Order: sequence, then structure tokens, then C-alpha cells
Amino acid sequence: MATNIPENLKYTKEHEWVLIEGDIATVGITDFAQSALGDIVFLETPEAGTTLTLGETFGVVESIKSVSDLYVPLSGEVIEKNADLEGSPEQINSDAYGSWLIKIKLSNTSELNNLLSASDYENFCNSSH
Amino acid sequence: MSNFKTRLYDEHLKLNAKIVPFAGWDMPVQYTSVKDEVIAVRQNVGMFDVSHMGEFLVTGPDALKFVNYILTNDITLAENGKAIYSPLCREDGTIIDDLIVYKFSDDRIFICVNASNIDKDFSWMQSKLSGFNCELVNKSHEYSLIAVQGPKTFEVLKSIFTDLEDIEYYSVLEKGNFIFARTGYTGEDGFEVFGTHEEIIKLWQQLLEKGVAPCGLASRDVLRLEVCFPLYGNELSDEVTPYDASLGWTVKLAKENFIGKEALSPKPVKYKLVKLMLEKGIPRDGYPVVNGSGEVIGVVTSGTMSVTLGKGIALARIDIDKVPADDVFLIDIRNKHYPTTLIKKSFVTGGHK
Repeated sequence: MATNIPENLKYTKEHEWVLIEGDIATVGITDFAQSALGDIVFLETPEAGTTLTLGETFGVVESIKSVSDLYVPLSGEVIEKNADLEGSPEQINSDAYGSWLIKIKLSNTSELNNLLSASDYENFCNSSH
Repeated sequence: MSNFKTRLYDEHLKLNAKIVPFAGWDMPVQYTSVKDEVIAVRQNVGMFDVSHMGEFLVTGPDALKFVNYILTNDITLAENGKAIYSPLCREDGTIIDDLIVYKFSDDRIFICVNASNIDKDFSWMQSKLSGFNCELVNKSHEYSLIAVQGPKTFEVLKSIFTDLEDIEYYSVLEKGNFIFARTGYTGEDGFEVFGTHEEIIKLWQQLLEKGVAPCGLASRDVLRLEVCFPLYGNELSDEVTPYDASLGWTVKLAKENFIGKEALSPKPVKYKLVKLMLEKGIPRDGYPVVNGSGEVIGVVTSGTMSVTLGKGIALARIDIDKVPADDVFLIDIRNKHYPTTLIKKSFVTGGHK
């Protein structure tokens, strides 16, 4: 199993990565997640303007044989979606950290404390598999 | 109880296969990528460990008579050395299993059944034996089985078994302890090779050295769905008859007598199985099918992304009295209705001979 976990990002137990820049969070799925899913063939993410609540689902990512929900890592409003990625979701397999899904303008920065560091996420991946 | 493992299990671990539980077995679901494995089989050659499947042998003077009595298809139509696909039905016409019968001779018939149904099939067949002068033996633990599939199958097998004959599709021959059957579950040319555990492990290693791609259950499911082969547990079940699953062609009502004949003679149909293709969205097992007015009319029994077509494909079971006259079928994916195209033949045409 791939264990590429960049230090500069934060993570969730739902295998999403988050890049924090001020009150903007850029969200994707981790290398571990893309490897577990296999060939990604379909992606559905919300349009800009959508309000997201922590822990709810905001979209789906599908491989040939599976469907996985995407969970909101931080509450806020979608300010941009990576529309190009929906046309070529296989990019996530080749570059999980270069393939962002959405950008969220955070509404509650205290939620940042819930995120995992790279080392915590690595431990989480090792313990769950 | 822990799951069974095939004798090739260690080979799968060596190849870093992803292992999943399936029908009580720990089976490889994929080795590299589902996409690459599907492409290997469609364009080149791949191999599947399907040792979990069951094998029965019927021998004796009444072997042909017995097997023809318990199946809906007519195996007297098969010459020696030929294979026939058939449902195994109850008196009420519902399907116990679907299987392939290999007729070596009238008094020696080999049957390959689904892994999940081995015990159910065997006890059913045993209960029907009385009055027939033949013996039924469950040989499932004696055989391992590799399905070698794809256009280059014969070429690669011939390089290992130099005297292998180029037999026709749905034919079978015995060589030493091996049984070579020109059958499969992918729509491509291929052989299913039954043999002793030791010989099959060796064959697996030989095939690997020759560059045959190991393929898992996930690609196998995509391949069979692309060519619209039914799967027991999805299209076929204890609840439906062959007519409900577009298998009317396997019910030979002209046969003098067989289990289920009375119930199947009026050709009862509760469902129609349809083939649907989507430009957008991927259908999955259990998704509802709706008509143009949004009314639920059926359910997806098998759905996937077709690797070969790059489109979503589905087999769906539609209530016979709700089949829309306008052929408009939509699939409900997460509460959105996606339009489909009704396909008449199969999604993909395999290259089998």
C-alpha cells in the first residue's frame, strides 16, 4: 500500500487531505485512498456556493467496482470546484495530492483542531490496515 | 469459521493481490488494476484462479438420463466431448443454480457449479438420484481450476501443452489428469483447465512466466457483464425462473420429462431482464429503474463501469407488467434519474470462436 503522506497537509480519518491557506481549505483524497479505490472513473462534487457542514457527505468518488462517499472535512462554503477533474478523474490515481476536488471558505476555524497531522494520519493508516 | 483458501492462495500473496471474502472463500479481487486486467483479457491473455468452483462427476449407465432429467437444457443434443450451459431448477421452475455440463460420454458426465451453491446443488441432485442407475460424486476438493481467457490463450497453452488440440468453443477433452474445456465467463476465446492441485499450481507459475496477466474477481465481473452473462445471486436466484432472466433458450420443453417442466411449460414470466447503457453515471446493483414518469419499474441486478466502452452498463430486472412501451428506462442514481439506451444484443461482442 502506498504511503505517500506529505508533511505540509492535514488529514481526516475519511482519507482526505486538506491544505489550509488562511480561511481557505483545499480538499482532495489521499494517496492511500486512491490506491485502495483502484481505477477512479467518476467524480461528483458540489458547485460553488454550496454550504457544507462538517461530517456530512459532499460528493462521491467511484472506481470501476466501488462507490465511496466524500465527507466534509471542514464546514463552510464551496468557493470553487475542480471542474476539469470530473472529465478526467483518473488523474487522482496518478497524482492524488495534485488533484484537488474543492476549495472551501471556512465558517468555523475551530474545526481545524479535528484534523490529523501527517504522522497521526500515517499511524491511522497503519493501524486500520 | 475462517474462509477457505484455494491452493493458489500463496501465489496470489506473492503477487500482492488484494484479497476479499467471496462465497466463503478468500479470493483475489485484483492484482494490478481492474482496467489493465480487463484489457489484458480482451486484447491479449489473462488468467483467473477459479478453484473455488465446484465439480461433480456422474457415472454409470443412467448418467445421461439422470443429468437430462435434472436440467432444463437438453444434453442429449451434445455429442461426446461437448459442453452445454443449463439452469438447474426446482419443480416450481425456480433456479437452484446455473452450471456447465461436460459430456465425456453417455455414462460419464462432468459438471461445474458455482462455489456458493456447491452444497445446495449436491444435496438437491442426490435427493433426485433414486431410480437411476448411476453414481454422483462431489469432486470439488480434488480439483483446482484456472480459467485462461483472451485471444492469445490457445497460443500460450499450446506452448506448454504441445499436443493440445484446437477444439471448438464449448468442447472438452481430457489429457492425463487435466481437463481442458473451451469455455469461460468473459466472452473471449479461452480454456478452463481443471487439474490436480499440484499440477495447477505448476501451470499457474508457467503461465505467469509466459506473461499471462493474473486477473481477479473484479475484472472477471466486468468482463462477464460486458458480454451480458448472468451471475447467480444477481440475475439468477432461488426466486426467479429462467424466463425471468432471458434464459428461455435453455428450457427445452420438447424434452420428454425434466424437473420443472410442468411449471415452466406455460412459460410464466414475472420479469424482463434488460440491458441498459448510460452516457453519464455508473449504475450499481440495487439501484432503482424508473420509467419516463419517474415510477419505479424495476431494479439493477448488475451494474458497473464498462472498461471496454468507458460507459456505465447495467442488467436490470423489470416487472413484466411495467415494461414501458416507449422503451424509456432511467436509472435512479443518488436520487437523480439518468437516461439510458436500451441495448438489444450485448454491450461488447467477445471474440470467442
